[in-house]
Amino acid sequence: MSINRRFFLKSSGIALASIGLAHTAPSFLQRVVLAAGQSVKTGGRRKTLIAIFQRGAVDGLNMVVPHGEREYYALRPALAIPRPQSGNAETAIDLDGFFGLHPALAPFKPLWDSKRLGVIEAVGSPDNTRSHFDAQDYMESGTPGRKATEDGWLNRLLQSQPRADASPFRAVSMTQTMPRALQGRAPALAISNLADFTIRAGQYSQSVQGGFEAIYDQGVADVLRGTGRETFEAVNYLKKVNPAQYKPENGAQYPRGAFGNSLLQIAQLIKAGVGLEVAFTDVGGWDTHVNQGGARGQLALRLQEFAAGISALVRDLGPLMGDVVILTMSEFGRTARENGNRGTDHGHANAMFVIGNSVKGGRVYGEWPGLKSEQLYEGRDLALTTDFRDVFGELAQKHLGSTNLQKVFPGYASSAQKFRGVL
Amino acid sequence: MKSSKSRFRRSFASAQRPAAALLVALSLFASTFIVGASAGQQQQQQQAGRLTQEQRVLHVLNRLGFGARPGDVERVRAMGLDNYIRQQLEPEKIADAVAEAKVSELQTLKLSTAELFAKFPQPGQLLRQLERRGQLPPELAALQRERRAEATASRPEAAPPNAPSQKPGDSQTEMMPGPGGAPRTAQPDAARPEDNQQYRRAIRDYMLQQGLQPPQRIVAELQASRILRAVYSERQLQEVLVDFWTNHFNVFAAKGADRWLLVSYDRDTIRPHTLGKFQELLVATAQSPAMLFYLDNFQSASPGGPMRGRLGPLQQMRQRAAGQQAEQQQQQQPQRRARGINENYARELMELHTLGVDGGYTQKDVQEVARCFTGWTIRNPRGLRQMAMGGEAGAGDAGTFYFNPRLHDDGEKVVLGHKIPAGGGMRDGLMVLDILAHHPSTARFIATKLARRFVMDEPMPQLVAAVAKAFTRSDGDIRETLRALFASPEFNSPASYRAKIKTPFELAVSAIRTLGGDTNGGPAIHQWIARMGEPLYGYQAPTGYPDRAENWVNTGALLERLNFGLALASNRIPNTRVNLSRFAGGSDGADTAKVMERFLGVILQGDISPQTKATLLKRLSEPTPQAATNSSQEMNGPNDAGAGTGPRERGRARRELARAEMTNIGNPEVVKVVGLILGSPEFQRQ
Repeated sequence: MSINRRFFLKSSGIALASIGLAHTAPSFLQRVVLAAGQSVKTGGRRKTLIAIFQRGAVDGLNMVVPHGEREYYALRPALAIPRPQSGNAETAIDLDGFFGLHPALAPFKPLWDSKRLGVIEAVGSPDNTRSHFDAQDYMESGTPGRKATEDGWLNRLLQSQPRADASPFRAVSMTQTMPRALQGRAPALAISNLADFTIRAGQYSQSVQGGFEAIYDQGVADVLRGTGRETFEAVNYLKKVNPAQYKPENGAQYPRGAFGNSLLQIAQLIKAGVGLEVAFTDVGGWDTHVNQGGARGQLALRLQEFAAGISALVRDLGPLMGDVVILTMSEFGRTARENGNRGTDHGHANAMFVIGNSVKGGRVYGEWPGLKSEQLYEGRDLALTTDFRDVFGELAQKHLGSTNLQKVFPGYASSAQKFRGVL
Repeated sequence: MKSSKSRFRRSFASAQRPAAALLVALSLFASTFIVGASAGQQQQQQQAGRLTQEQRVLHVLNRLGFGARPGDVERVRAMGLDNYIRQQLEPEKIADAVAEAKVSELQTLKLSTAELFAKFPQPGQLLRQLERRGQLPPELAALQRERRAEATASRPEAAPPNAPSQKPGDSQTEMMPGPGGAPRTAQPDAARPEDNQQYRRAIRDYMLQQGLQPPQRIVAELQASRILRAVYSERQLQEVLVDFWTNHFNVFAAKGADRWLLVSYDRDTIRPHTLGKFQELLVATAQSPAMLFYLDNFQSASPGGPMRGRLGPLQQMRQRAAGQQAEQQQQQQPQRRARGINENYARELMELHTLGVDGGYTQKDVQEVARCFTGWTIRNPRGLRQMAMGGEAGAGDAGTFYFNPRLHDDGEKVVLGHKIPAGGGMRDGLMVLDILAHHPSTARFIATKLARRFVMDEPMPQLVAAVAKAFTRSDGDIRETLRALFASPEFNSPASYRAKIKTPFELAVSAIRTLGGDTNGGPAIHQWIARMGEPLYGYQAPTGYPDRAENWVNTGALLERLNFGLALASNRIPNTRVNLSRFAGGSDGADTAKVMERFLGVILQGDISPQTKATLLKRLSEPTPQAATNSSQEMNGPNDAGAGTGPRERGRARRELARAEMTNIGNPEVVKVVGLILGSPEFQRQ
């Protein structure tokens, strides 16, 4: 066991000792160590994917601005983000001479410069639905056009790599209820607040928990009792981590609110070394039909929180970002042309961010289809050149080591040739 | 009664002993097959022979209903188990005054869909209609102007768009599917919350003045009605079947107009057909606005069909009556994309409602079936015209099914080898349903799902075959099919006893029932069901909730189940009450062993493994630690004040206890005992 622990500390880079846990790591963590030892070929470390869903369809064209495209300015006389202009904080932040970031995404610029942030353009679902409901459903089930898929793609990703020794924290959604993407047979947790992950009986919590532990720890082994034992291991471990006492590192400052709070707790789980492989959270407020605003205004405020949260997470995790990839997504983009209410309506393709030390950042990936009217999808939206499954598949395979993309994306011919090479 | 109970327990204890010995032996090598062992456990029980008469009674009360209430076991034994089953199969003959009185306070249940649209409008849509007709009250108009001016000035704090001028169609009527089914509106959050609050308050006040209520109320009441009926109804099998068929023909409340359409779905589509002919149920769902909306068939139109103008003559007439803008608005966006055939319903009809995924249909069949159902649609599906006419428009036919020949593909079709002649109109779809209802794959698929629900997760092939045979022989008569299933040796075998993990809904309802508790079925109890993983009408995919243990048993869900039992036992769930002192008897809780024995009788009818019992006793006889650690106190959220009063939290806890009217807090040991038994593996099963 001491060998295990040494190996664990050495190989995972997780400073368990620093939070005083080395001698109390629960058995599932010791199994994690073993598993890590056995899977040296995939890197020998627990890799984590953090998926962030921008619900409501973010306006990708104002998030990553095609300032080199004249049509962009013609289509959006009131909403366009002005071309980059040094010293002017209300213009696009240039990335590569053609694309720029919305000025509210300024915290992303250093990540781009240090090649830790990549952009995928004109990406999304091949299905033409413009319903939030259906499009989110498809992006989370990973099966565009097929509604009866029982489970989400992230859950199938876990199923495709079954681990008898999986940590109960292998997949965690920092949301009230389990998102579609993580629903399915593989165990996953939905927790909006880590502090709630315990037996709640006031002063008697300890003693009641002891009672439950005892009855679930009896000889008779079945799925209930097995899960029960794991549950209490997890509860006890988390208690020692003491979520209420958490202090972000490296001067990271998370924005106040649910989004920042969920990212902070994801950082906490990663640092505590609980065997987290897939984390999920979401953030709303992108459905900007009216008064979307330009460099400032409604969308700018949402992007500000979005960028502040993600950059705080990256800063807080520090060198651990070597094992973490952050992926952002939204169900579809918005109309290329602004509407009569200074807003944009439901569109088609969109942009995604991929962030991490292993990301080949500082580049915009994917083909740009252009915004001329004959280039637009159905005459109104950014056309699609990258199927979202090619991005998800690349991260699943290259980052999390999935070897069975057919299972993760049934009915889709996933192949490394279609990957965009962002990792 | 007391003595009969203890006799009852003794007989259990002795029946359990041989099996228990085997289980202990089994546990020695249990660690090598953690999951597989449950199958082994079942085999051991099977070898132990038949269910005792007491176990059969419990089994039937659990499977045909939501568990026993105090006195139920005795009642069923007195009337005879077979009589009880026969009675449950004819719910219309069972008087049900208590449950009916409980749900009579839920006003939405009696309203037509048109009335629901009119009285529970989406605030955004309502305001837009008022604005269009120039009837926006001055205060609201002023607030709205203010917000727009700010936004136009493009100040950083620019107010978010709100409903009034927002585009109609999917962005507006369609709520965002919150993860896991918690409905969320597509509206962005407030950029400046205080503004938004002021605005929202103004809207709420206006609605209140007009006697209007927010639409969230509709689904909340529907959920409450399901909980109330499951807890109180004497027609227990009927409620189990409502749950089963509602899940089989799943509809998600947060999809677009479905929250207004589900009341009729429950009342007019599911409930009258739970025990009738399957084909009638199938036709009812196919013609239900809720399903037509959920699976998009209401928008499905033949691309080459006769539809030219957007409006039928009837609609045009109504448009004149209703104000043109509202109508155009309703027609424009949804229908711009709607033109064309939509295969969603056709596919799920065969894959999920009838034949099953391997039921022997092709993609070509899906296309042909979709052609047959073109024109099966909904009048005024989002009820916008109701709102345009103000609150008095409840008498209309908004949100009802009709066949629109202008959308229909009237050519010949071939479905599963059957020719459907051209010119059939609405008969096309009815013929398809007839073919599907009589297909052998359907008999097998429905038999499998019923056997999975009522017997075990992986039902034996011979059971499925027998049930399918009963289905076919009775021309899909659900009552006769179930009669055969309940009489089958598999249903009555020890292998199926406690072989099912209760769903969260079943767990919550059975816990309230077993303690003889009371509830109003309101949001507080529903929220617990949702936290444990099963929000009612909250499953997004048309598959419905999977009916297998592995979907309910995972670390997070199990923890919520244990916490639910504790919250219930300590009366921390608002508007749900249990009175434990009526069971604790005279012992005052002083003798923990005696208290435990009593509650094991009440909750598990004494049928608990000797090890669990011994462990419980041992734990309970240990002294309770004086104070919890600081960290564990912090972990108790303010809504979950504990049963006790620690030194630091005394004030807060006392207030919360007072608020929760915890009558039985006299001895927290009792709460602890009940919480532990409700959380035991035995009570998770049925």
